[in-house]
Formats: sequence, structure tokens, C-alpha cells
Amino acid sequence: MFSKSEEGARTARLDRDRGLVEEARRDPSRFDALYRKYLAQVYSYAYYELRDHHAAEDATERVFMQALAGLPRFEERVDAFLAARAATAPVAAPLPGAIPAAETPDMTDASTFRVWLFRIARNVVANERRTYRRRPVSSLEAAAEIHSPDDVVEAAAAREAGTAAWQAVARLPEDRRRAVVLRFVDEMSTAEIAAILGRSEGAVRVLLHRALRSIAADLRGQLN
Amino acid sequence: MLGNGSREARRTELYLDGLIAADERRAQEVPVDMDLDPAVLLAARQLRDGLVRIHPSFRFEEALATRLANGAARMKAGLPAGDAAPAAEPGTIATFRGLAAAGTAGQAEAEGSAAAPAASFRDIWPVTAFRRLPDMTTGPRRPYLVGGVGVGVASAAISLGAVYVAWRYSHPASGRMGRAVRAAHGRSSHSGRRSGVINGIRGVVS
Repeated sequence: MFSKSEEGARTARLDRDRGLVEEARRDPSRFDALYRKYLAQVYSYAYYELRDHHAAEDATERVFMQALAGLPRFEERVDAFLAARAATAPVAAPLPGAIPAAETPDMTDASTFRVWLFRIARNVVANERRTYRRRPVSSLEAAAEIHSPDDVVEAAAAREAGTAAWQAVARLPEDRRRAVVLRFVDEMSTAEIAAILGRSEGAVRVLLHRALRSIAADLRGQLN
Repeated sequence: MLGNGSREARRTELYLDGLIAADERRAQEVPVDMDLDPAVLLAARQLRDGLVRIHPSFRFEEALATRLANGAARMKAGLPAGDAAPAAEPGTIATFRGLAAAGTAGQAEAEGSAAAPAASFRDIWPVTAFRRLPDMTTGPRRPYLVGGVGVGVASAAISLGAVYVAWRYSHPASGRMGRAVRAAHGRSSHSGRRSGVINGIRGVVS
């Protein structure tokens, strides 16, 4: 455990959005900065989950409107975040040849506001999925068109890789897909994903590992 | 003690951390854990390249920014943020406020007047909603038309009215009453400040 002063020092570093959040709580018009910062992340998450631009826009709008309305009630739950991490952190000795734990971005890069925002997003997207379930959805391959390097060959290769990745991810079970999107698209740490999905870090680690193995098998099958 | 599965999952996590960190540093070299399954490494790299972050359209971004700004203004006024009306209904007239208006609004806010909640909104309305447009509103407020068929019809009707007024002044009535009025005033109908204004209108509408 941390001493009081250590904990204070760590918590002060924890939420990189603390300044913006405090400003927005004092003056709601300052919420704009948080909105601009997280728009693409929230929209991407919604789009990868719903596979439809219009549905993703609806979900994104709901997320930010709810976040704005709920901001006065938002509490920076750093203690809970730390406790969850402490409870699930591995106690084993460092693995031989592994990357030092100091390089992991978990603690210094975490944002409890982002976790809170994505919890809202998870709920909103779940509701949207129920709404859009009966409707046909457009292909996720459209996202591969985002790649537009000048080199035509490189563009084609990137598009092919993107399409293959899309298809493989789309075939994953819901929880694994969600974890993969948060990890690769939104570049979240395991701790953040765990907090958003309401699971332990160990469970998220296993989810991601299994997802990668499934995707590897899928890609291998496509190659063959 | 960690089981084999957890151990491997932990290795994968560390590899992914390294992969993303290398991406942020724009490093060419990516850390490799030789004990990890090469197929997993390949899949991770493919996902990193294939799963791009998507930005919504500029139009959507700005429309939502305006809605949020409306919600923020409502919150400051003590109302629920969620009841904010859509940003700009087609065919409505929105006030396009400039820096001059912002100054007076800020003063009102400082004085804590009843207009303060709406006034504090001035710093996001022009900057956020139209932040990529040049500021054309250093003068006093003027209405800004936001599309719509109804607005076009109304605008055309106003123009026709102006044309009629200008024509009527340039062709004074030849009836007895008109002659009597001109005789009483003893001057032309095209003199003075008023005719200057009318000529201005004629210049605009011709």
C-alpha cells in the first residue's frame, strides 16, 4: 500500500484530465476541450461496435450529452482505480526477457475521466446495438479506406491488411472484440479496459491474449 | 503462482505495451519477445496497422459542439442540459455574434445580471461553432441566415418590397393630392437625407 503522501503524489499524476475536468465543472462551457479531445476515440469505439456511421454518430452524441449533464456528479475515483489495480496486479517475479514493467503506461497515463466517459459509451452503445440489431449494417471494410498513403502499392497492402484485421475482429465474441478495440484503437491500458468493462485486469489480459490467438488462427486460415 | 495461460497473457500484454509505446515514439524498431508465438506477434502488428482511429465528419463535430454549448448554457442557467434544442434548425435565423458583442456580454456577466448565463456563452458560440471561419462580425449584431426554403421566400419578398418602395419614390404620384403636397412643401421629392437613403436602396436593388 501507499502512504498518504505517496498516494497523494500518485493520484495527482493519475488523471491527466484533472485540470480540464475542474474547469468544465466550474464553467460547463469549458467542456468543449474535453469533447474535442475524446471525440474521435468515442466515435471510433461506437463505430467499431455498431458498424454504421449514423448509429455511431447517434451514440457519440448521446455519450457526450450524458457526460456533460453528469459532469457535476462525476467523482474522480482514483482510490477505487488504485485498489482494483493493486488487487489484480501480478505478484510474480519479472519474466525473463520481458519488457520492464516501468515501461507500461498504466499508471502515469491513466485517466479516470476517460474511464468514466467510456463507461457511459459502453452503456450507450449497448442500447444502440439493441436498437440497430434488426437493421442491416454496412461493411466494416469501409474503415480500411481510411488508409491513404501516397504510395499506391503501400495503400493497397494497407487496405488488404486493414480488411483482414476488420474481418477477423468482427468474428470475435463481443467481450473480446470490445477489449481489442479499446486496446488497439483507443490505445488503452489493461487497467483502463478492466475498469471500463468491469472486469479484473487478469481477466482482460486473458481476453486479449485469446483474442489475438483467434485472430492469428483466422489470419492464417485466410492466407492458406 | 501464475499458470501458463496467465503467464503467456502477461507476456502478450507487455508486448502490446511495447508495441503501442513504439508507435507513439514513431520508432521503427519494435520490441520482440522471442518466446511469444510468432502468429500472435503477427496478428498484433496487423491489428495495430489495420484498426485505425476514425474521426467523424467536420459537420457532425461542429453540430454536436454547438449542441453541447447550448447544453452548457442551459446548465449555467440552472436548467437540465439534455433539453437543449437542436443547434440550428433549417430556416431559422441565428444571431452571429462578434468580439464587440462578446465584450459587452462579458461585462454583463461580471455584473451578475440575469443575462449572465447566456452572456458567458459568447466565448464558445463564435469560436467553437464557427471557429474555422474568419470573424466578419466586428460591427454590431446582425442576423445570419442558416438555409431553408422558407428563408429564401421571405428574403425574396423583402427584396421585392424594397424595389417597390424605390420605384414609388422615383415616380411620384401625378394625382391632385400629390401635386398639392409638392406645392405645399415647395421642393422636389428627391432632395434631402431621405432621398439619399432611398437612392442608396435603389443602387442596391438595381
